[in-house]
Amino acid sequence: MKEQFTARMLRIHFGEDDKWNGQPLHEAIVLKCKELGIAEAIVFRGIDGYGSGTRTRRTFHWLHSKDAPMQLSIIDTEEQIAKLTPQLDAMIEEGLIAASTVEVIRYSRTAEKIAAPA
Amino acid sequence: MLQAGKATKVIVYLSDGATHHGVPLYASILDFLFYRGISGATVTKGIAGFGADHRMHSSHSVEISDRLPIKIEFIENREKVDAILGKLEELVDSGVIEVQETTVAKSVQGAKAKKPTSPAHLKIEGKAEMMRIYLSEEDQWNDKPLYKALVEAMRANDIAGVTVYRGILGYGAHRRLHKDKSLLSAHHGSVMLSAIDSSEKLRAFLPLVDQMVEEGLVVFSGVDIIKYAYRAPDAEQSSVPSGSGSVSA
Repeated sequence: MKEQFTARMLRIHFGEDDKWNGQPLHEAIVLKCKELGIAEAIVFRGIDGYGSGTRTRRTFHWLHSKDAPMQLSIIDTEEQIAKLTPQLDAMIEEGLIAASTVEVIRYSRTAEKIAAPA
Repeated sequence: MLQAGKATKVIVYLSDGATHHGVPLYASILDFLFYRGISGATVTKGIAGFGADHRMHSSHSVEISDRLPIKIEFIENREKVDAILGKLEELVDSGVIEVQETTVAKSVQGAKAKKPTSPAHLKIEGKAEMMRIYLSEEDQWNDKPLYKALVEAMRANDIAGVTVYRGILGYGAHRRLHKDKSLLSAHHGSVMLSAIDSSEKLRAFLPLVDQMVEEGLVVFSGVDIIKYAYRAPDAEQSSVPSGSGSVSA
């Protein structure tokens, strides 16, 4: 099945060592997204970079990374994203969120709709 | 390209069913010849034959139709053949390799022989689009990973560049949480392909995406190309341009 619609994409940048309630922040956000029924969430670990604050986020060895820069990208409709943003506000202490409007094509094997896009 | 005149013909006799690192041996050999720049090679499948084991194999009878003979032929100049023969002998662990002198009477290539000196996607300036495709790493297309197939397809269609990212955590259409438990065996993760090119080029590529992607998300966003630099192609080596774009919007 193919659906086409306009959506919002958030890209959240923070550090791998960031925590929320004792849980790694990226895991906490992905679980939150899942809970809210957000269509797509994916976490990438950067191999080098720096972010807010002055500390450099650099992975000296990719297996033994030291506070690597993380990027989380989230995609869903405007309304769904609006539900998520207050939660993110509470969870992210230090970081950056970039939002953009994107055009989305979604392919799914099953006919059932997961979240009806507007 | 092969010149008319003296040349060497190599024929490799194998049996169907022989494998090399899990793929058919003839396919491995063909890839090897291709990557080493052999000017052409042909694989033919025999309908009957026997080899060193002196067992008859024939397509007429089901009982003996396994391990039918396969023949790989190619013609190249002597130096090139000598250069690859060692590795070829390693690849063929059972079978016969025959080398014979031959004469090339005519060798022509179609009108496409002259490559354009610069890639078709040489100039991208200003407004462009970024296409991101979200997939599961285990998605397959024709027995190969879908993300790999897509990269090959984009390359064949002159899309300026594409990068595949492996997510360390995520979920998509399935609502199954993909998490790589160990970094070393991250096999069931989410992946993202990110390609940047002109809007027309990417949109023209979409029908193929339609065919290949069964489940996933394709996201378009407008970007401004700030810099697109590439190394001048040396000789006939097709250049791999390094694209860089900056996301706006």
